[in-house]
Amino acid sequence: MTDRRDDGERAAGPAPVVAFDHISKTYANGTVALRDVSFSIPARTIHAICGENGAGKSTLMKILFGLEGPTAGQVLLDGQPVSTATRDFAGRHGIGMVHQHFSLIPTLSVTENIILGHEPKKGVLIDRAAARAKVEALSQRYGLAVDPDAITGRLPVAAQQKVEILKALSRDTRVLILDEPTAVLSPPEINELFSRLRDLRDHGITILFISHKLNEVRSLAESVTVLRAGQVAGAARLADVPDNMIMQMVMGRPVEITRREPRQVTGEPLLVMSGVSLASRDPADRLRDIDLVIHPGEIVGVAGVDGSGQRGLVSLVTGAARPGAGSISFDGEDMAAASTERWRARGMAHLPSDRFTQGGVPALTLIENAIAGTDGDRRFQRGPFLRGGAISEAVAGMVEDYSVRALSIGERLDSLSGGNVQKLIAARELATEPRFLIADQPTRGIDVAAAAFIHKRIVDAAERGAAVLLVTADLDELLRLSDRVVVMFGGQITAVLANEAHLTPERLGPFMLGLEDMP
Amino acid sequence: MNRAFLAGLVRLAITLAVIGAVLLAVLIPFALPHEHPGTVIAAFLLGPLSSLRHLGNVAEYATPIAFTGLAATVVFRSGLFNLGIESGVFLGGLAATTAALLLLSFGPFTPFVAIVVGAVVGSISCIVPGELRLRWEAPEMVTSLVLNFAILYAGVFFLNYYLRDPAAGSLMSYRIPADAKLDRLLAGTRLNSGAIVALVACLAGGVWLYFTRSGLNLRIVGQGPVFASHLGLPSRRIIMQAQIVGGMIAGMAGAIQVLGLYPRFSWTQLPGLGWTGIIIAILARENPFYVVPAALFLGYLQVGGDFLARDIGIPSEVVGLITAAIMLAVTATAIFQHPAVLRLIRRIRQVEAAR
Ligand SMILES: Nc1ncnc2c1ncn2[C@@H]1O[C@H](COP(=O)(O)OP(=O)(O)OP(=O)(O)O)[C@@H](O)[C@H]1O
Ligand SMILES: [Mg+2]
Repeated sequence: MTDRRDDGERAAGPAPVVAFDHISKTYANGTVALRDVSFSIPARTIHAICGENGAGKSTLMKILFGLEGPTAGQVLLDGQPVSTATRDFAGRHGIGMVHQHFSLIPTLSVTENIILGHEPKKGVLIDRAAARAKVEALSQRYGLAVDPDAITGRLPVAAQQKVEILKALSRDTRVLILDEPTAVLSPPEINELFSRLRDLRDHGITILFISHKLNEVRSLAESVTVLRAGQVAGAARLADVPDNMIMQMVMGRPVEITRREPRQVTGEPLLVMSGVSLASRDPADRLRDIDLVIHPGEIVGVAGVDGSGQRGLVSLVTGAARPGAGSISFDGEDMAAASTERWRARGMAHLPSDRFTQGGVPALTLIENAIAGTDGDRRFQRGPFLRGGAISEAVAGMVEDYSVRALSIGERLDSLSGGNVQKLIAARELATEPRFLIADQPTRGIDVAAAAFIHKRIVDAAERGAAVLLVTADLDELLRLSDRVVVMFGGQITAVLANEAHLTPERLGPFMLGLEDMP
Repeated sequence: MNRAFLAGLVRLAITLAVIGAVLLAVLIPFALPHEHPGTVIAAFLLGPLSSLRHLGNVAEYATPIAFTGLAATVVFRSGLFNLGIESGVFLGGLAATTAALLLLSFGPFTPFVAIVVGAVVGSISCIVPGELRLRWEAPEMVTSLVLNFAILYAGVFFLNYYLRDPAAGSLMSYRIPADAKLDRLLAGTRLNSGAIVALVACLAGGVWLYFTRSGLNLRIVGQGPVFASHLGLPSRRIIMQAQIVGGMIAGMAGAIQVLGLYPRFSWTQLPGLGWTGIIIAILARENPFYVVPAALFLGYLQVGGDFLARDIGIPSEVVGLITAAIMLAVTATAIFQHPAVLRLIRRIRQVEAAR
């Protein structure tokens, strides 16, 4: 520990790899995303960047990567000012980035995705053999195993994440930016990723790491810079500061997080699935012999490594798929063949995990996204016409309640930061006072305070008598909210556990990996 | 909403400016050999604005393409690239003529009845490809393209055997009865009451798309099909509605064109109004409110071209060349969204800021 500190003090000698020098950024629509941000990152370290949703983290990283230009200020690499707006800036300077939203093209192979933009050429043609060899060499060198010929879209999320990282490393990378890389991963996958990242650091790569999860930041990074409302709110070596001080820097106030007291719910169940199986083209969606009941007022949490059948389960209770065998009933009504429309009419609400294709339309405004699907709601409609005034008022209320950071509710959805999009979707789905709530990764990419708020809303829904199905890769969230936990593995339910105090992520691990069966 | 609307207007203005530049680039080589190159350009650019009558000509040209631009907008908004509007125009004109010739007269309502018949029959051209796509996943672009020609030949056959006036020299129908014709609005032009219908239709289309629930649902289905199914919207029905409405508007375009302008029905080729409509829809960024200015703009170019042909003697083919260049410019507006251009623009701005 001590010698590392010495490193820091010697930083006066060699210039830091990356330095931000009085950077400000105002987007075309007038949003001020960054104001006068200055800090630097010493070589061969893992540096975390924290901050609430919309604080400007992704914007700053996009500036470093050359995707956005700063309105003022400059980026210094090795102490030299550079113009990030030049062609192929990131590639030439060895900067790689894993974006908050996947940027891979699902129909291309892993090799094609990785070499896209800097293909090895044989004359005018792409040298496929060389490309493949390059990908294999990369994968060997950094210990990230992928199948170079697989079609990217068919891989599980964790594998796609590896492809993203390899892509980011494919150009003699010195600086690797990871914008919320763990949001889609389960705990064992996160551990795996972290040890790979430590290896990369030991290879001499400087890593910038964005996350909302303090425990991750702590286990991986050496130092942290906190952004709040576009400004640097603080910086520290992680060894020197306690958690609550970082939280304080991030939020500007303390945030309280409590584990909910699980309840024993009895009586008539609302949702009953018995002997349900699902055939699907994608093996990760197949289900076998699922038995599941949820009572009114009960929160059932689903744990499992991504691709264990959660997506199939959600598609069955949202009307997106029909079971091959078995029965599904809701409130006594047979719903095996019900459409989404019918599920919705029965009071189903769904917080989808995929916010930009399932959760909303990027090119429509916040208003339009927020009232989508409220057909026939008298508050918003007079005959066929939308009631502009009443709608604006209601949406402004939603934005206020869920503290969605937006310039105005007339802006396009894709002008929001990732976490704020998620908050708006949550606001829309929970506004319907559901009887059956499916929350699929409800707080992925959301800051701690907003997550606590959404948790409260989910608990409120349960207290009003809704049956809640919570699917999440975040085991802390799962244990904080659930009354009962079911673990899925390979399309089956391998364990059903009451959420008692001694139930911990460690206890769930073996079930999730299929090492242990129902106790 | 207002900001978005303004942003759209700005983009439209940029597009028009690009088109203007392209225009001059095409025109200048033809103007230079001329004694007074300036007069050539002036004839083209100012001619259409030089009198009320010429403005009337502009509106006359703009009328059918405003309809087809609206039709293309509605159809594209559903997410389908259905080209059936082209034959929808043809079919609408043919059906309206047939109605005018064969049905009893309804007095002052005769044109109205004929247009409704044209709209209903014309919609078939969009409904069939839409249905094939929804039911069998047949690509609508291919099926509609093929269907366009099938409809054309069936239509010409019908014209030849049932409507043909043997007394007329070439293949054309009997004279359309006077009471089926649309009222002319401006002496010396063929501008007719159809222009008013077109304007009202575009405004109504805009109100539908942006101020009603079903318009919002259409935009959701077209731009976010996965989101639409997540919401449980009846996507198939919504898509089909758009094909029906788009097809009917295309049919109306044909009916109004024939009843408003021509003494007889004489189309033996696809009239091309549907293709122009597609250009207009792209130019107007698939926004019905912008369809009107976009159609007027193309009408203006057309009249300017007529001036060149008539007064200066520049061959009328040049107008075709200009239209082709415009098509390029319109499709090339995608350039604006190209990251390299965006980066360039940003760099220019930075340089400016640095000064
Ligand atoms: N393309 C854009 N156009 C306009 N405003 C934008 C755009 N992208 C981001 N913003 C705004 O800039 C601010 C900072 O956004 P940024 O994406 O950097 O936040 P973030 O810290 O990454 O948040 P999150 O944790 O939610 O990902 C936000 O207020 C956001 O609304
Ligand atoms: Mg972000």
